[in-house]
Amino acid sequence: METPTHQTSPPGDYVAFARAHARAQNSFLGCSRITDYEILGKLGEGTFGEVHRAKSKKTGAIVALKKILMHNEKDGFPITALREIKLLKLLSHPNVLKLEEMAVEHHSKPADKRKRAIMYMVTPYMDHDLSGLLENPSITLTEAQIKCYMLQLLEGLRYLHDNHILHRDMKAANLLINNKGILQIADFGLARHYDEPVPVAGRGGGEARRDYTSLVVTRWYRPPELLLHLRKYTTAIDMWGVGCVFGEMLTGKPILAGDSDPNQLKIIFELVGTPTDESMPGWRSLPGAEGLKFPPHPPTIAQRFREAGSGAISLLNELLKLDWRKRVNAIDALKHPYFRNAPLPAKAGDLPVMEDSHELDRRKFRGQKAAPPPAPKGGTVGMGAGNWGGEPSTNGNAGFGNGDNYHRQPNGGRYPHGGHRNGVPLPPPQDERRRAWERHRDDRPDTRLPPRPPPAEYPAYDGPRDRPEGYRSRSRDLDRDRPPPRSRAGAPSVDTYIPSYGPDSGRRDERPPRDDRPSRERDDRPPRDDRHSRDRDDRPRRRDDRDERRHENRDRDRDRLDYDERSRSGRTRSRSRSPARERERDRVREREPLERTHDRDRDIYRR
Amino acid sequence: MAHLTNPLATPSQLFALSTLNSPLPPDLQASIRYYTAHLTQASGLLLRLPQDITAQANVLLFRYWVVDPLMQWEFSDVSAAVLYTTAKISASPRSLRSITNVYAYLLSPHSQLSYMNEKKDEIAAPDPESYYLSEGEYITFRNRILNIEGQVLNALGFNTHVALPHPLAVTYLQTLDAFSTSKGKQVAKRTVEYLNTALLSPQMLYLTTQPNALATAAVYLAAREEGLKMPEVEWWEVFDVEREELGFLVVGMGSLEPFARKEVERWGVNKGMISREMVRSELEKLGLGNINGDGGKGLVEEEDEETQMARMLDEKVAAVET
Repeated sequence: METPTHQTSPPGDYVAFARAHARAQNSFLGCSRITDYEILGKLGEGTFGEVHRAKSKKTGAIVALKKILMHNEKDGFPITALREIKLLKLLSHPNVLKLEEMAVEHHSKPADKRKRAIMYMVTPYMDHDLSGLLENPSITLTEAQIKCYMLQLLEGLRYLHDNHILHRDMKAANLLINNKGILQIADFGLARHYDEPVPVAGRGGGEARRDYTSLVVTRWYRPPELLLHLRKYTTAIDMWGVGCVFGEMLTGKPILAGDSDPNQLKIIFELVGTPTDESMPGWRSLPGAEGLKFPPHPPTIAQRFREAGSGAISLLNELLKLDWRKRVNAIDALKHPYFRNAPLPAKAGDLPVMEDSHELDRRKFRGQKAAPPPAPKGGTVGMGAGNWGGEPSTNGNAGFGNGDNYHRQPNGGRYPHGGHRNGVPLPPPQDERRRAWERHRDDRPDTRLPPRPPPAEYPAYDGPRDRPEGYRSRSRDLDRDRPPPRSRAGAPSVDTYIPSYGPDSGRRDERPPRDDRPSRERDDRPPRDDRHSRDRDDRPRRRDDRDERRHENRDRDRDRLDYDERSRSGRTRSRSRSPARERERDRVREREPLERTHDRDRDIYRR
Repeated sequence: MAHLTNPLATPSQLFALSTLNSPLPPDLQASIRYYTAHLTQASGLLLRLPQDITAQANVLLFRYWVVDPLMQWEFSDVSAAVLYTTAKISASPRSLRSITNVYAYLLSPHSQLSYMNEKKDEIAAPDPESYYLSEGEYITFRNRILNIEGQVLNALGFNTHVALPHPLAVTYLQTLDAFSTSKGKQVAKRTVEYLNTALLSPQMLYLTTQPNALATAAVYLAAREEGLKMPEVEWWEVFDVEREELGFLVVGMGSLEPFARKEVERWGVNKGMISREMVRSELEKLGLGNINGDGGKGLVEEEDEETQMARMLDEKVAAVET
């Protein structure tokens, strides 16, 4: 199969793009072999499996290889992976990450012959993800740059929505950016086919007729209607995420970093105002709104973003509209005056940020998160594990990793309840992290050159423990590095604040075993696969033994990897990821089956 | 648009089929494809799968057999694996247990499939014992399916999307205003029948022509058969089909009935499905010798042989490409 060199062209140059990216439509050939690629180094680890940077021997293109872990072999090839692959193969847009092809690795040792081959998804290599970029203190996005990225994001989203696809995991960590300034939407692990009419200009997201599962989207980017369990949601859910990303670009940090679902709602309402029958018609009848009481709060967007200017505030207001029917769609957002007023959007080609961002290069050299792998499961490509200690935690109480640093944080006092809700400690305060960052920068030898490290350099960069805390924290650990949400200060316990947030808290309580399991399992994506089989079997209790098995399989996987010894140490190092995010995932995974048994929604992608 | 078109087999791929499947003569290859697709179709019905899933499975099955040799796995296993995978990624997944049960039944000597060609009253009552699948048998069958699933996905490069002509055909009929006449419904039914039959075609029509052409040809045949009045002009050109292609497809679709009759004569009226064993003995009858020498390959060797086969294929592909 041909792997065309990935050339990026400015968005808008669609004809040239289409030519450069025309997929081989006229024949079918098998996968390529892993030996067609020269592995350059490990980038990180996702829920699917680890991600490597590699060079195609055929075309010379630098690609990212995402390994698909085969845990749940009972049902054959992981269904979520199959669906993501099928979907990605149908998509072709400059602002949507392209799946170049699939590569297969056969076991070379005779003893391994009976084992399954390992599959890799091959995508173009992207240098950064937006989340990581924003976390980099040395980079400040100019307004022109922000406009440029926003336009690309909206173009990509317009394409997806126009093709009946809901992304359902819109967030900064899933937006990949390369050094040419091209932004691409990645990670279609939660995406599904959208059965409703596509958005049209001037009509917002339209109306949905059927139910979808409301347990999607990473919390910080989850729109209020999903938090209130609207099932008939529309493409507007992705637009809310765009609003959050936009705000994040303006301020440099996530704007709505809730630490629980009720808290998320609370801070949303603090930002955009409490819902009224006018601002969010019908919100009272949403299942999640039952018994919900908020003191009336005026919107504070204009105040909070006053430095960004009125144009930005106006667009932000459109994107973060409580009423999902009136929330702007991608078509209309692209026409927003914000993009036509000075400063005009930068051209992707001349974005300055990439040229002088040696900090990124340095990070890259250090095998840090500089190069977010393509389509990792929502910030799940856990590269940043530095300050988490290296040993897998076998007692579940530590939550993720061994949480050494957490224990050092004064979190006990700060987060009396929420912090340990799921056995997951809450993020350390940001100021600590900043200090760590500075300190590290001073200590470090200058490693700016060469930008592309030889693979052998990676192991040298070891000792996750002696790394100053916070150093590695990037987009992956984003959640953790948050300052405590300001709302928390006044509301020590969300539970008292919102007494009956019924189903959510109830369900969480039902799942204590989850937290007793070794943290490593949380990295696994396949629970989403389990879900499907489980739905069909209607035997939810089986989950536990399956988890055990998955665990073993994973161990077996380790032994298989022979071409890259580093990966083992790398894995332990990068295993732990942001707790909030993890918890997020887990909650989605955990809860979905319960919900999904009752609907037809497990049949994602009806195509 | 990618959604409406299919990847097609290249001429070199079709040409290479005779070496890929050597020493199977073309007619035996056609028999294998026909019977296996037939089996997939029957299983799809028993599993109550929507026809589009079954149809996609059969297209994927044929695609797989352009890349990998026919004799590599038992035909019915490949059919089951392809149907399982296709259903899995669709809106109507089926459990492995259901699929293995259905295949066990259809492959049993007294299944409905074996008696399709006989009169109803001569069908013996099915004997449940002949298609009961014990836990052990189920697990081995399941493992075979899962193994082949990986092979199929690998061979297809994970391109599991299949564009079907069925919805297009209905759109074309609407465009031709067929439903304003009393014959419209009947013509539509016949069109779909032609399209489903074409899935079994020895010419592998779904691998050689795009859905729009298939839809047009089926509409053409159905309209002619039902006496629906069509425009006097060359209306198929509106649907991007040339006269020559249409002619080929009409002949291809029409030739299926005599072909099926010939197959039944060759393999016997009571054969719902043929196996590798039967093909091997047929080969011997033809004086072409035993295909693999050792008949049943040991399980232990399978991976090795398959790796080797894949490598040979890669080399072949590389040779073709340069």
